[in-house]
Amino acid sequence: MLGGGVRERLDWPLFLGVVFVAIAGVVNLYSATSPYMGIAGREGIADVYVSQVYWLVVGGLLAIVLSAIDYRFFERLAYILYACGIVALLLVWVLGADIRGSSRWIQLGSFAFQPSEFMKILLILAIARYLADEPKAEPRTLVDLAPPLLIMAVPTALVMAQPDLGTGVVYALTVFAMLAITKIRRSSLAWAFGSLGTVAFVMWKFGLRDYQRLRIQSFIDPEADKTGAGWHAFQSKTAIGDGGFLGSGYREGTQNQFGFLPDQFSDFPFAVFAEDWGFVGSLALLGLYCFLCIWAINVASQAKDRFGAAVAVGVGANLFWQVFFNVGMALGLVPVVGITLPLFSYGGSSVITTLSGFGLLMSISIRR
Amino acid sequence: MSFLVQRSDVGEFRRRYRWLVIAVIAAFGILVGKLVQLQVLEVELHRAQARRNITGEIRLATTRGVIRDAYGKVLAANRPSYNVYVVPEVFDPKLWPTVAQLMALDDTESKVLSDRIIEAQAASSTKRSQQILLKVDVDRNVVAALKTHEDDLPGVQVVPVPVRYYPFGPIGAHLVGYMREIDPDTLSREEDQGYRAGDRIGAVGIERRWESYLRGERGLKKVVHWQRAHGNREDMEKRYLDEPRTVDPIPGRDITLTVDVELIQAIDRAMRGQLAGAVVVIDVRTGRILAELSKPSFDNNVVSGGEGTDAVREAFQKLYADPLKPTLDKTVSAAYPPGSTYKPFSALAGMAEHLISPSSHVDCHGGYEFGKRFFRCTGVHKTVDLYQAIVQSCNTFFYTLGEQIHIDRLAEIGLAFGLGVKTGVGVNPESRGRMPTRAWYTRHQKGAFRGGFTLLAAIGQGASTVTVMQLALAYAALANGGTLYQPQVVRSIETSDGTIVQEFPPRVRRILDIDPARLEFIHHALHGVVTEKKGTAYAQRLPEVDMSGKTGTAQVSHVTPKGVDPDRLWYFNRDHAWFAGYAPSESPEIAIVVLVEHGGGGGANAVPVGMRVVRDWQRLKAERLGAQADATQKSVSKGGTP
Repeated sequence: MLGGGVRERLDWPLFLGVVFVAIAGVVNLYSATSPYMGIAGREGIADVYVSQVYWLVVGGLLAIVLSAIDYRFFERLAYILYACGIVALLLVWVLGADIRGSSRWIQLGSFAFQPSEFMKILLILAIARYLADEPKAEPRTLVDLAPPLLIMAVPTALVMAQPDLGTGVVYALTVFAMLAITKIRRSSLAWAFGSLGTVAFVMWKFGLRDYQRLRIQSFIDPEADKTGAGWHAFQSKTAIGDGGFLGSGYREGTQNQFGFLPDQFSDFPFAVFAEDWGFVGSLALLGLYCFLCIWAINVASQAKDRFGAAVAVGVGANLFWQVFFNVGMALGLVPVVGITLPLFSYGGSSVITTLSGFGLLMSISIRR
Repeated sequence: MSFLVQRSDVGEFRRRYRWLVIAVIAAFGILVGKLVQLQVLEVELHRAQARRNITGEIRLATTRGVIRDAYGKVLAANRPSYNVYVVPEVFDPKLWPTVAQLMALDDTESKVLSDRIIEAQAASSTKRSQQILLKVDVDRNVVAALKTHEDDLPGVQVVPVPVRYYPFGPIGAHLVGYMREIDPDTLSREEDQGYRAGDRIGAVGIERRWESYLRGERGLKKVVHWQRAHGNREDMEKRYLDEPRTVDPIPGRDITLTVDVELIQAIDRAMRGQLAGAVVVIDVRTGRILAELSKPSFDNNVVSGGEGTDAVREAFQKLYADPLKPTLDKTVSAAYPPGSTYKPFSALAGMAEHLISPSSHVDCHGGYEFGKRFFRCTGVHKTVDLYQAIVQSCNTFFYTLGEQIHIDRLAEIGLAFGLGVKTGVGVNPESRGRMPTRAWYTRHQKGAFRGGFTLLAAIGQGASTVTVMQLALAYAALANGGTLYQPQVVRSIETSDGTIVQEFPPRVRRILDIDPARLEFIHHALHGVVTEKKGTAYAQRLPEVDMSGKTGTAQVSHVTPKGVDPDRLWYFNRDHAWFAGYAPSESPEIAIVVLVEHGGGGGANAVPVGMRVVRDWQRLKAERLGAQADATQKSVSKGGTP
């Protein structure tokens, strides 16, 4: 179905953009884990950049397969896949491995896989399917919005219960972005935001765990608690500032090398990068991410059908929110909520999910 | 393509994409804005914080200055001391017999300590990680043995602690002083002086007053909190540390005192038969203090912590409970009625007022009737002139003077000689003493001023009090013809390599305007006290000692001191014995004041002490002159004729 003109039809900007980010991510991961090298008992951490390369290969192959398949194939399967994802999330409850007070992983042989990551793509497909199935000429009402919001609410509630606040927020915001490309009645919008505010308030009062509340409080007044919950944000800002205009140099950032960045290979890889490469490097990286987000919207705008357009927006929005929250967190703009930076944070599930998304995007882009 | 869904109309979506792009750019704009703030505008702030994270400063210890006597004998120095600790968490109890053997512990000690370790090992985690002190100030051989086996004995720590060492211990302990750990109050007050918690500072005496000179300045070494994974340590240090990377410590200044420790030892020997008291010897030509001793004393090695903190606490408990007040510096910090040692000054006041003269006569019948009271004399002296009144210490003569003279005149002469005025010697807190005036009595005594007060003041009793130091300076002024010196105890300050930084030349406080003839008469009378058969010091004189002086027996106000055993009360009701004088009689060089607290009569109890001290002073002087002469002779013969 692709025929001979693969080279002409391949979305080169998308392809190269993803490759650059992936390479930068591995290079940065090597810097982020170097403080653990040669330290007894930490070899596992020092070697994660190697595992990350394996995951990139696996994810890359999957992306190639996905880009080769016509995305409309997934339009049919969307709800079934979504259901499988929900089942996996429920399985976490039963089989979940408890890591740092929250159960997010399912152990499969020697892998631990994280259903909440894969759910990002499955959720996007399900929402896109709904939007494709239900075209509206009139602005959508609250009743019209109820089904997609329900589709979103189930997995969101499940991941928040793990508890994984960050992923829940990304689900919700990704779906909001997808719904934002439809026409919505003004009064419905007002109702939606009103009820969202209420939910947020109730969540704050009853739904959050103490450590989550503490993180948000420490974000609001970070100076009050430099040693406790505000510590991470404080040291991250120090690392970024220490980089200065040109950076400390690759693997020379002292905040990272001397272990002042907690979780520098999962939560704070941007701080590592910004300290090593400075303002110039950070600007280039953010530019690359920004380009990918805009390019996804561009793909959406040229998509031949509603499903393709909605999936492209969903992939772009998912990328955007993760980058915005992770980088914003490192910069001290948003609370520390544990959202990964796509292709920079270490993690097989995250890498495969991100690359799958780009594979779908490529599929849409090729078939525009 | 049959499995694929039919293409749907995308018309509904078209118009929103531009807004999404704008939103994305705006959001990234916010991130970049924050990036500019952190990496461009606030870069210095964050870079400084990052440096603070990875670097630190190690304070380098300095050495405290040495205190020496006038002849170079060390009175206070530093010595290394080693404490042995064990960390229960790491320590293997099976190794205990080895440790006990290396440390040469006896069986009971070994049992007690091993029980403590086992108890701590069984306890909670915090207690397990706390060091247990095994022994303070262990022997050098033990240190060497433990250091050799350091790797085989995990958890055993040998920690060096600098300890102040006082070679002469209790001899002159009040003067030299001792050290203590800095307390939180002083710490917060002196923080800008660079003190830190755990520092040791001078607590008393020279150690305290000259603290700022003795302590020196700590050094500083900047370090990177380096680990092997970070790369090359030297590169790191060069890169991340500001110059200068090290600041060498400056050792404290050495201090040379004016005192002769051998003379203090002589005083200690002379005072051996006495329980409590104080002696001061002053150079009458300079005001320099040649020796001072307060008795009973204490071992400043112990109270400075040389034998551990438990020993310090125990020592102070004992010292504070002692009714003889060993911690009190009785040369300056306590005032006593001068008794008859004041009579020369009363005589000078009376002569100045033309109320008495050397030819005045009084009939002594063993006392003096004044008003309704009878004022007792020390004996029945029959007809005495002024000379005999001083030699025999006749109170009746001075009561007669007291009836005629204004009390303020008696106080004025005392104040002129520095009695009842702080001397400013600057060692320990000074008592001012008191020369009572009519105004003072009006303020402090119930009822009207009575003439009897003046009678008592004339014989140095009543409300008059002086310190030993004040009296020594006053007698020095009598001896040198009326020059009252500033007492000095510090001769010079040197750097640790011996270069003199500052010297303290003698300072005159005042030159008294006294008729030389009258002073000559007083000299004559004071000589008579020792040489005349009827003189109060005659019986206890030493034939080889040439000196003049005045005895005194100061009555004690019969107030029971707190905490004194009633069986020992008789002691505290006994009079203080004084002897104040100077030597040699012609062209005096030193003034000496001896106070024996509750010693009884001055002639019998204080004079022997004074005599022996002066004898030893004469001997020391001769020895040193001889040594000097030898040295000169040697150098002459070396460089002399072939």
